[in-house]
Amino acid sequence: MLANSYHRRVIGFTIAQALASTALTLAIGLPGAYVFAKYDFPGKRVIKAVLTVPFVMPSVMVALGFILLFGRSGFITGLLGHDLGILYSWKGILLAHAFYNFPIVVRMVSALWQRINPHYEEAAMALGARGWRLFWRVTLPMLSPAIFASAMLTFIFCFLSFSIPLIIGGYRYATIEVDIFTSIMTLLDFRTGAALAVIQIALSIAFMYLYLRSLDAYARREEQRIMQRPRRMSLSELASPKGLLLIIYALFVFVFIVSPLLAVLYDSLHFNGQWSLENYRRIFSAEYNPMFGASTLDAIRNSLTFGFATVFLSLLVALPIAYAMHRWDFRGKRLLDVLATLPLASSAITLGLGYIRVFSGTPLYYTPWLLIAAYTIISYPFVLRAISASLKKIRPNLWEAALSLGAKEWKAFLKVELPLALGGLIVGAIFAFAMSIAELGATYMLAKPEYTTMTLAVYKFLGARQFGSASALSVLLMMISTAGFLLIERTGEEVW
Amino acid sequence: MVSVELREIEKRWEDFALRVERLKARNGEFLTLLGPSGCGKTTTLRIIAGLEKPDSGEVLFDGKAVNDLPPYERNIGIVFQDYALFPHMTVFKNVAFGLEMRRVPRGEIERRVKRALELVNLEGLENRYPEQLSGGQQQRVALARALVVEPEVLLLDEPLSNLDAKIRERLRSEIKRIQRELGITAIYVTHDQEEAMAISDRIAVMNFGRVEQVGKPLELYYRPKTEFVARFLGTSNILELEAENGVARLGSIQFRVGIEGKVRIFFRPESVKIREGSDAEVLDYEILPGRIRLRLGIEGRVIVAEGLLSDLPFDPESLPRRVGVEVTTFATL
Repeated sequence: MLANSYHRRVIGFTIAQALASTALTLAIGLPGAYVFAKYDFPGKRVIKAVLTVPFVMPSVMVALGFILLFGRSGFITGLLGHDLGILYSWKGILLAHAFYNFPIVVRMVSALWQRINPHYEEAAMALGARGWRLFWRVTLPMLSPAIFASAMLTFIFCFLSFSIPLIIGGYRYATIEVDIFTSIMTLLDFRTGAALAVIQIALSIAFMYLYLRSLDAYARREEQRIMQRPRRMSLSELASPKGLLLIIYALFVFVFIVSPLLAVLYDSLHFNGQWSLENYRRIFSAEYNPMFGASTLDAIRNSLTFGFATVFLSLLVALPIAYAMHRWDFRGKRLLDVLATLPLASSAITLGLGYIRVFSGTPLYYTPWLLIAAYTIISYPFVLRAISASLKKIRPNLWEAALSLGAKEWKAFLKVELPLALGGLIVGAIFAFAMSIAELGATYMLAKPEYTTMTLAVYKFLGARQFGSASALSVLLMMISTAGFLLIERTGEEVW
Repeated sequence: MVSVELREIEKRWEDFALRVERLKARNGEFLTLLGPSGCGKTTTLRIIAGLEKPDSGEVLFDGKAVNDLPPYERNIGIVFQDYALFPHMTVFKNVAFGLEMRRVPRGEIERRVKRALELVNLEGLENRYPEQLSGGQQQRVALARALVVEPEVLLLDEPLSNLDAKIRERLRSEIKRIQRELGITAIYVTHDQEEAMAISDRIAVMNFGRVEQVGKPLELYYRPKTEFVARFLGTSNILELEAENGVARLGSIQFRVGIEGKVRIFFRPESVKIREGSDAEVLDYEILPGRIRLRLGIEGRVIVAEGLLSDLPFDPESLPRRVGVEVTTFATL
């Protein structure tokens, strides 16, 4: 398989695009980390909330947004008068990956930046360091664990990304993930698919190892609990060059994140160049859509059912693991930690491939159970992380106080720890829900037509170039995601 | 109210071992575990609470072993250093928690919470959340929460160390008052010797995982058995002298020790009385509010003396080069 120059090029491109995407993500994210760590300014809350949007946005929809913005008859293409050549090229892939991942960089790096004891920088300044030298010699080395950890995470996500290269890159810019998918689904070449999957797993486990190492370094730094309060920027300061840069950055973030969504919304409300609800009428009118073999209502019902089932199952798996690791020290705890995070390194397509190999011919094959299992495996590392983070924030002596006041262990858990970890549980649940309804690759491979989900339906509309229907269904998908996003905001929990 | 006794308690870590051979807090007594950080005092308290298991040995409440009882069956109250108030519960809910765990009827809970809050002077704050209270108020809630269940033992782990000096002193005497009023057995952990002396019936001084000495505050202060206890409780003069015919001498000062040969003499700076005379050379001195502290040289040894300015037979502005001294109380180590 490696002798085939096409597959060799795909592997090379996958790594190259992940590297370039990570670089672009850092370039966009690091200034944001600085701004968020150092300044308070009017509208910061809004921008911070907007930064959560990509976490819950289905990638199919983002891809659709990019097509509507940069396509031959896209909004931006129309605005500029010529095609930027972003779509169906590596540029589009990079931009979409940056869209997804720069909020991770902003959050992780600014969280650490705020925890750097200001005395270090002040001591360095007293010793004569300032400006760039201060940054290079003192600040940057202290930030490096956060930068490295967020970059590794970005790299892994980009390395395993599927929908974005599939839809925006086209076949010319296929990644390993897309290559496995086409080998199996289009060419029915399971051997090539399996070989590619093995290579992908080997690489991603190596990357995962680096990520876990960097996360350890990050966690150690994070334990310093000294918080540096962001400085309030006055209105007059906002008018200075520094303030203008800040405003430009905030606007950029806003436009960058919101424009694909607005493009989809706008498109869904247009039919033949006129404002109209025709697109919505159309997707709901058909009792049975031959394109994906079910009705739109079926797809919505499937998405919601699978989503809730995934939430239930992933909480069921993640909560005991998170709690055991929080409460007790035991042999193999470290191993459990690694095993629990490992699914991050498994891609949806590989998972789908594995399930087909293992379950085809068994009664489980082509049932929703396989889909829900796949969604759970994909999403529970995030659930675990969210719950662990909120459990870690509970001071251990609260548990002891409860015991001393007469509460048995399970009561202390129920009355004290669980309510305090509830924010993390909700965030985890929403993640599981958002990830399951946004999943495309495994769904495509494992779903019988009657189990089509909204995301799969959007993809099928896209494939048939029925952009209006795709947009209308995307907007419904977005409304569900937005509900989740608002819930996350209300918990006030840090997502990363 | 019970007596609390530790027997042959041992707990080992890789680099530290705690060993308490015998320690007893009597019924209704205020016993303080005093020692530097890392001496094992908090661990001892946690063993009494059942939050930590000893490798061997017994914890007895009123002579009955409670080793195998989990914390929630020991009927204790703990006040933690950082209060450990439940952040998601109001003051009322925090204080009511222990009663709810004991399935006390609703009406009685309300009555008892109210009484407990009155006891710590916190009436009217029932509906606040911990984060809306000052440090001192949080500490009072923690105290009320520990006391409302009418525990047989009250355990306090450095409860005042996060508060500033003024509030610390006021809360200190309040804790003492409440303990007296309720007649409850209290075990108190601190590293502050002044706090320990002010509040305790008896003090157990701990060092390197061992109990060095147990006794009443003044007994420990003036008659320490080890150099560690002597130094930990305040400024000390410790002299190695040779005794002849039962008397050790330093210049004209005589210590009637009743033994022969090498002795280690201990006395406090305020046990040194300054008079007119020429026994000691004044090396230097510090004037403190109302007091004076002198470093005196006698036959090449240095001792520290401290007294009230008003007791000094000279004008402190013009101290003579040499003064007479007398040591009123001493101990041998």
